[in-house]
Amino acid sequence: MDYFLYPGCSLEAGGSHYLASVEAVADALGLNLIEIEDWNCCGASLHYIGGTELQTKALNARNLAMAQKQGGHDIIAPCSSCYIQMIQMAHEFEEEPELAAEMNEILAEADLSYSGGLKVRHVLDVLFNDVGLDEIKEKVVNPLNGLKVASYYGCQTTRPYGEYDSVESPHTMDDILEALGAEVVPFDKGTKCCGSGIFFTEMENCAPLVGAILGAATDGGAEVISTACPMCQMNLEIYQSRVNKMLHTEYDMPIVFVTQLMALAFGKDFKQSALDRNIVSPKSVLQPSA
Amino acid sequence: MATKAYDKSFREEVYDKVDAGEEIKLCMQCGVCGITCPLRDEMTYGPRQIWSLIRAGKRDEVMNCSDIMLCTSCYTCKVRCPRGVKVIDVMHGLAHYALQEGIVPRENTSKFGKFFWNSIYKTGRIDETEVPMRYSMRRGPIHGIFETLEMMDIGRALLSHKRMHFKLGPGIPPSKKIKGIKGLKKMLDKAEAMSPGKEA
Repeated sequence: MDYFLYPGCSLEAGGSHYLASVEAVADALGLNLIEIEDWNCCGASLHYIGGTELQTKALNARNLAMAQKQGGHDIIAPCSSCYIQMIQMAHEFEEEPELAAEMNEILAEADLSYSGGLKVRHVLDVLFNDVGLDEIKEKVVNPLNGLKVASYYGCQTTRPYGEYDSVESPHTMDDILEALGAEVVPFDKGTKCCGSGIFFTEMENCAPLVGAILGAATDGGAEVISTACPMCQMNLEIYQSRVNKMLHTEYDMPIVFVTQLMALAFGKDFKQSALDRNIVSPKSVLQPSA
Repeated sequence: MATKAYDKSFREEVYDKVDAGEEIKLCMQCGVCGITCPLRDEMTYGPRQIWSLIRAGKRDEVMNCSDIMLCTSCYTCKVRCPRGVKVIDVMHGLAHYALQEGIVPRENTSKFGKFFWNSIYKTGRIDETEVPMRYSMRRGPIHGIFETLEMMDIGRALLSHKRMHFKLGPGIPPSKKIKGIKGLKKMLDKAEAMSPGKEA
């Protein structure tokens, strides 16, 4: 099945292991990912400081227009912040004809146009609803053998419309993790915010948010936290040592993408699953099959 | 006892000039946004009280309140608001408007956000090496060197794990631009000119 892929800026840098593992999973499942040509940043999540609301909408309209030039497939946006920006534009385009006209007036400046109709989907949506748990189970050759995982969606992953899962109590990632043979531990911070785009510049305010997430996962007995958002992965992982220092804690919790666990379970090796790119190494808990 | 009418000029200013400003007309002051915010303990007012202050004409209190730039964009308030107010969009709109009026609600986030937007405007994308580098130099090169050294462990870890591109310094080498950058700039200029409070 063909999909457009909108990688977004993060997946080309801090979240490169997300992109690599999404591609590894797509390969194992026979999904064909076609990158949107010459895509631009979606604006998330600090766009408003330098840009206006209409300018941010224009950024997302351009990506939709670029995709439409290439065809009519659904767009997969693995990054939750990109997803939320793009899906809002796609919805508003259908629901607000005046805004749609304004967008086309703006797009015309770059000789582009968008007529609507494209669907924006999160990678969890496609894995759960298009691929399905049965096929995922069938593809598992290296089950995760009861690996204890905290399922951390992050705040934006199923929002704002709750198109494929609950905005408050999502379950799609839990079900996928269980299908891979993992044990999903009790964890009440699944949709709590990590500080997102302001974590880095407002660390004193946001460190307790990350501390609470790491703490709840630890209390639940998790060996790893699984996420589906590059900003969550980044804030929870690369600043973990900073958070420890600020809060006088000693967390040493690997933060992996659900697609990394999936690739591993599908028989890809540690490197193909891009698990060698995790800074808090999950090696000891994942015990890769040689 | 004599009563004093609210000064309506500030609310009109917000409705006219702030992105999504008219959204607050829908607010019924229930307070779900405030209690639901992950950073509620760090805020002086929170969204509900800010809306109330706008309606009461308290321009200085609102414009000088750093809460308006403490939104993490988690969308919890937006999905829980019983009136469907786009709380986040109003907070973002207020922060943008304050900056435009020469007020800096939060220094670090304001600076980082400027470099962030510049990267989009000049190249079409965020360069995750360039933006933090420029940000670290915001108070001059000496401060920049100290701040860079402080972040060295994280930078090195990202580099060695193939999660960051190497740069010698800001602009060395320059960030890659998307092919359609000229068209994108024209689009952004046009969109700016069409935005509330910016019309010629």
